Amino acid sequence: MTATLHVTFRVGNATYAVAASDVLHLESYDTATHVPGAPSYVAGLVQVRGRLVPVIDLRIRFGLPPADASAPGPPASQAAIDRRVVVLQLGTRVAGLVVDSAREVLKIEDTAFERPPEIVVHQTAGFVKAVATVAKRMYLLVDLPRILGEELDHG
Amino acid sequence: MTERVDLQEFIGGFVVEAAELVTAANAALLEIEAGHAEGTSRPKAVRDVFRALHTIKGLAGMVGVEAIVDIAHGLETLIRTADRAGGQLSRAAVEVALQGVRAIGERVRAVSEQRTPAAAPPRLLEAIASTDATGDAPAVAPQVSAELDARLSPSERAQLANAVAAGAPAWMLSFAPSESNAARGVTIGSVRSRLATLGEIVKVAPRTVTGPSGAQLGIAFDILVVSSAPRETLADAIAASLESVAPVLAPPPPVAQAPLPAGPGAEPSTRELAERDDATADVVPIGRAVIRVELSRLDELQEQLSLLTVSRFRLEREIAAMADAGHDVRRLRQVADLQGRQLRDLRRAILRARMVRVAEVLEPLSLLVRSLARSSERAVRLELDARDTELDKAVADRLLPAMVHLVRNAVDHAIEPAAERRARGKPEAGTIRVACTEIAGNQLELVVSDDGRGIDRAAIARRSERTIDHDADLLDVLCGPGFSTRDVATRTSGRGLGMDIVRRIAVSDLGGELRLATTPGAGTSFTMRIPLTISIVEVFAFACGRQAFVVPVSAIEEIFEIADAGITPPSAPGGRSQVSLLERRGRAIPMFSLGRELAIDDGAAARKAMVIRRGGEAVAFSVDRMLGRQEVVVRAIDDPLVQAPGIAGATDLGDGRPTLVLDLGELGLAARERQLP
Repeated sequence: MTATLHVTFRVGNATYAVAASDVLHLESYDTATHVPGAPSYVAGLVQVRGRLVPVIDLRIRFGLPPADASAPGPPASQAAIDRRVVVLQLGTRVAGLVVDSAREVLKIEDTAFERPPEIVVHQTAGFVKAVATVAKRMYLLVDLPRILGEELDHG
Repeated sequence: MTERVDLQEFIGGFVVEAAELVTAANAALLEIEAGHAEGTSRPKAVRDVFRALHTIKGLAGMVGVEAIVDIAHGLETLIRTADRAGGQLSRAAVEVALQGVRAIGERVRAVSEQRTPAAAPPRLLEAIASTDATGDAPAVAPQVSAELDARLSPSERAQLANAVAAGAPAWMLSFAPSESNAARGVTIGSVRSRLATLGEIVKVAPRTVTGPSGAQLGIAFDILVVSSAPRETLADAIAASLESVAPVLAPPPPVAQAPLPAGPGAEPSTRELAERDDATADVVPIGRAVIRVELSRLDELQEQLSLLTVSRFRLEREIAAMADAGHDVRRLRQVADLQGRQLRDLRRAILRARMVRVAEVLEPLSLLVRSLARSSERAVRLELDARDTELDKAVADRLLPAMVHLVRNAVDHAIEPAAERRARGKPEAGTIRVACTEIAGNQLELVVSDDGRGIDRAAIARRSERTIDHDADLLDVLCGPGFSTRDVATRTSGRGLGMDIVRRIAVSDLGGELRLATTPGAGTSFTMRIPLTISIVEVFAFACGRQAFVVPVSAIEEIFEIADAGITPPSAPGGRSQVSLLERRGRAIPMFSLGRELAIDDGAAARKAMVIRRGGEAVAFSVDRMLGRQEVVVRAIDDPLVQAPGIAGATDLGDGRPTLVLDLGELGLAARERQLP
């Protein structure tokens, strides 16, 4: 049985996973340069190690309330500290995902992934392509091309 | 007036040419020095130095820079003595010549910066005059027959002897150009370059071929070559039979059918020699045609190209409008698509014209290592491996200071003193290697590595009071501003390591990456990845709706206070793009709020107006306030996620965050279009 290394991260109340081979690095996240005219889920541009990287706010992509809108005060600033950019490479494209927190790297057996329940597919607008349960915790495997809007390449 | 302009152009030409000659002289002097280390003389290099100095003297005389004339004259005399003595230049003479060439270089720079060059230092001139040109250089024994010997200058004789001593036989070839040869592409030029790949050409001398009756039949060339290639290969190279290839070493060759212009026994002076060789060069076409172009002309070309790109954009819109109106635009679109491809090719061709060879760009590092090694009393060797890589001139100019810092640090901090190296079982001379390779994504990878002591992580962690787990952390600490591993300022690198500068150049200025790998006791390597081309643009930075933007200076016609202009407020409020009319010198200019156009604010805080003119009509945009004017590197935004109308790219204003570069022309067209019914 083969297991694949995954990077896991939290957005809202769920934990998601992407194959570690697609991840270039994890960066702390402060703010991005807003790009007028870009899709609303694009938080903007950040500079990572000298490289221009467009970043997607996964909360907005998943239809959750934006992080900044949550109540101000100490808990919110803790949330801001935890936020990370997961920098991904997909073919020749490099893009980042802004997530609530990202820490764990986990080996997940390939056979552990199952088709997601219909309710999950519906709630995540098709951005989740599989679900794995490891040690009683559920990990949602995200569909990266879909999140990055591969269809934009042809539009 | 016109005379003045001509002189300016002339001086520009002088600076470019003199700078090249200074580089050539330095390279040749270093080669002679390398010869000293191996115990051989390099007569060809001595002649190269002589020619470079001779030409510099002539050029400097024409533009009236007497200081350079004086130094070059002194050096020329010194080198001529060496050339006459068989091309042996003593260590002391190389040393003083390098000093002299550097003094010339400083004065060329002064001229280029429109400063008055300092007079030639008398002490330098004295040193040049009192130096023994030949002194301790290795002796070369003559090895050729008396007949041939008489036809060679002392330096050619030494060059021949040296090459033969290196183990290859010498040959005298006789090449006769003919129509049938020329038809097959065999000319003296092609023969020369073929032979240059097979061995070393010592001499090429033209002679007249006479028939039995004494009538002139044509011209032929005697070519003296040292080559270990088989006789057949050499004959093949000159498209002739074996008889045209004669061995030169004993027995004496029966090749001289007509006396050479100089005549047997005559000892040509070096000046005559230089002129005679130049005369041959006139007959012989040089393989690669090269012209010099000022960078500003290439910039101009690029600017024109961007105007063409804008007008093509307008053409596209017109075609789309026609199609919407129900016209058949298929053929028009075919032509437009073809034009689009041609524009792309043109852009690529212009970029290629801006490329310079990395080997040439990094050439100054050899001199740097030499002088640093000397002042720090360490033996250091520089290996430069740039292969055939090329780089945009603008990138090259910015890259060099970073490379100088890295190499300087390696000599000063990494390479141990000879005694320490011996104790560690390393060769006494340290090696610094600079290697460049082109990698995917139009990038160049430069690696500066040394075999020195490596970086002591623990010591740096103590000093910076940080934990250092990886080389990446280490690099972060080293690149902190003003960080130094030394308490005492050294002459060569000063207090700071300057790594903050290296990273700023690699990452912020050039949009590249910098990495570090170090092994204690074994050495350190820095890897820099930079784009082959960048576009540098002068921009205005301004604020609009809590965000900073920049726009190319060339796109802006005028900037003024809105309060100073007569404004007619919009007659029809509501809608996204409200237009007001500005009165400016009797013209009415439509003004849009940039904040509203970009949907980032309501434009109420706007105090300044920027007027642009693209394709005839002027349009103004209101913005909050101006932030300044500067040169920036514009990077393309190529991911579809962030491609939006009016966004031309991004840059870093120095705060480590991207700032968007706007194309107001495109926004202006879009805004105006929306205004039309």
